Amino acid sequence: MGDKIEVSGFRHFFQTEGGPVQATGTIDLSIKAGEFVTLVGPSGCGKTTLLKAIAGFLTPSEGRILCDGKPVRGPGRDRGVVFQELAILPWRTVRRNIAHGLEIAGAPKAEREATVARLIGLMGLGGFEDRYPHELSGGMRQRVAVARTWAADPEVILMNEPFAAVDAMTRLTLQEELGRLCAATRKTVFFITHSVEEAVFLADRVLVMTKRPGTIKAVLNVPRSTAGGRDWDSFTSDPGMQKIAGEVMHLVHAERV
Amino acid sequence: MMQRWIWRLLPLTPAALALLAWWAWFALDRPPPSVMPPAIDVVVTMANLAFGGRLPGDILASMARLLSGSLFGIVTGMAAGFVAGLNRPIANFMNPLVVFFNAISGIVWLPLVIGWLGIGSPLAIFLIWNTVFFIIFQNTVLGVQLVPEVLELSVQSLGGSRWETIRSVTLPGALPYILSGIRSGLGFGWRALIAAELVGATTGLGQLIFSGAEYHRADIIVGGCLLIGAIAMAMDRWLLLPIEKRTVIRWGLVTSGQGR
Amino acid sequence: MKPLRGLLPFAVLIAVWWGIKIGAEVPDKLLATPQAVWTSFVGLVSHGILAEYASASLRMIGTAAVISFLAGVPLGFAVGTNRYAARALEGTLRFLQGISGIAWLPLAILWFGFSQTTTLTIVIYTLIVPIIFNTMTGVRAIPENYTLAMQSLGAGRLRIVRDVYLPGALPSIVVGMRLGMGYGWRALIASEMLVRQGGLGDLIFGARTFGQIDRIMVGMVVIGTLYIVVDRLLVQPVETLTVARWGVLRR
Repeated sequence: MGDKIEVSGFRHFFQTEGGPVQATGTIDLSIKAGEFVTLVGPSGCGKTTLLKAIAGFLTPSEGRILCDGKPVRGPGRDRGVVFQELAILPWRTVRRNIAHGLEIAGAPKAEREATVARLIGLMGLGGFEDRYPHELSGGMRQRVAVARTWAADPEVILMNEPFAAVDAMTRLTLQEELGRLCAATRKTVFFITHSVEEAVFLADRVLVMTKRPGTIKAVLNVPRSTAGGRDWDSFTSDPGMQKIAGEVMHLVHAERV
Repeated sequence: MMQRWIWRLLPLTPAALALLAWWAWFALDRPPPSVMPPAIDVVVTMANLAFGGRLPGDILASMARLLSGSLFGIVTGMAAGFVAGLNRPIANFMNPLVVFFNAISGIVWLPLVIGWLGIGSPLAIFLIWNTVFFIIFQNTVLGVQLVPEVLELSVQSLGGSRWETIRSVTLPGALPYILSGIRSGLGFGWRALIAAELVGATTGLGQLIFSGAEYHRADIIVGGCLLIGAIAMAMDRWLLLPIEKRTVIRWGLVTSGQGR
Repeated sequence: MKPLRGLLPFAVLIAVWWGIKIGAEVPDKLLATPQAVWTSFVGLVSHGILAEYASASLRMIGTAAVISFLAGVPLGFAVGTNRYAARALEGTLRFLQGISGIAWLPLAILWFGFSQTTTLTIVIYTLIVPIIFNTMTGVRAIPENYTLAMQSLGAGRLRIVRDVYLPGALPSIVVGMRLGMGYGWRALIASEMLVRQGGLGDLIFGARTFGQIDRIMVGMVVIGTLYIVVDRLLVQPVETLTVARWGVLRR
């Protein structure tokens, strides 16, 4: 099986009043189908730029990006995105936000309802179906955002620091839930974070970026002993995991701005 | 480089298109000067009126009315706004009256007040005051009521008197709202002034353009309207916006009035 | 109990008015008694005169509001979603906002005479500028993430306009409508005073020439009341929807 996402020779510049500014160094990477890849790096290294390019929100200055062997030309429903800041619509209820992707695709009502019900169960949103986003806590809203992306059933999911704005306790729960969700659905996930623990906890493979203009300086495989075994209790007590986390921490630390 | 120039010149395109349309109108069918004057006539007429004509006097008369009416409106509006903002029962009592009189503020009073004040500056000043007052009043009440109680309590716990609290907390706290009220109040006041001068004065920019209609001088009207817009924009950009920005930015207040 | 409390200030106001009128012996050509105003009101209503003038004004503002809304909102969208168009038009719209509709009245009179068309043109101009302006700023204030997320869900342009731009800009559009109605209602009254082809402005300005102070005051009360009713009808439902249900703050 080929690579799901393939980035080769990617480099990006932003046009500003004072001329072009280099956002990233040259980046090559590939993500296999069903793989969970996390990317850690210091603020401003170009993580978000890379994700936006894969999502199709910006056209790379140099290099090319392939999804399923076809060049990426703009955003599409094969690549779902979960944002850091709130991106669910305040004027739709939880249910209608989650169903939005299916609505756009023109899925029949029965299918929409079944999918929404399944995701509401998986994400622990039961009882909140008819609430509006402003009535929910930050953690609940991010659950809705994740559920909305999964409901549209894209093959690739791009997540840009989705839990950064959530309180620390809730974040632990959300990370475990995401781990379970991924194990249940086998999606290809590309996940950006600046938390080393989060990166190692979730990943099959961790990429570490240098400071701006960022390039990928190291790739670490995270062996998974059990398929769905992502919970914080076993993670913290597993010396193998702690060793990897220590290595990543060391690599990231060297890139302090 | 090229793109940057396009970006800079972009705001001028509507004016350029308007001039082009104006020119095209004359090229295709020549309208009588009482309907639409050639662009050059407007420039010449305005220049003649400005040097040795009535224009300086009209501008001065309009500005003096706007200034005195607004000043009067700001002072009374703030005073009443503070009284109402600090006393719930008074605010509750005044609110229905304010809603009603705000709805008929400005030009609606003209037929009645002509009988009281006659034609001239006092009438225009009354109408401007009447317009500005309610906007300042409502923004002041809002600003005063929205000052976080914790700030007032903290001054009181330092031993500050009621007067001290108002002076050092309530007034600066409400100021951004008051300033944004002044800004939109002057916008409304300027409109009220032009309307008032159309019938209720013998000098001023409103009267200038109205006399243009009587003598079928479209050049005076078009020139006068453009001048009215230019003065309003200059006032907003170089006087009101800087004052508002200065306090808002310097104090790090992100809440910009307007009932947020 | 509550509506009564709202009426109390007006009772006090009428008492003060009466007191001044009688105490200071203000002549009838300056101020009418509350009684005279009431009598005049009853007379105007029973002869159908008030209904005729009021409906002329309401028809005019209604027509202007519908036209301005139908033209202004799409224009505001077109300008707001394109940053070049926004850059090109923003300054001009600000400039036009400084020229009140009533300032164009002399020119409109030269073009269309003392007619309903003149008034309609002035009121539409007055209404449409704030509507375009506020729709534009409303669209531009919608977080970019909303649009990007929709694109990733496979939404086309039409779908984004319907599901994101329209509800997202709604509070701002309403602010523009209100502002436009505030300016527009005054411009209408002023225009009617000068054009003298019916409407409440004509009613009160005509009453002036005959020194009918009572009639002027009836007109003022009606103008204020109608404005408040229209404003509430327009604002209340949208306010309930946006603020109470969506938790969206008015900008």
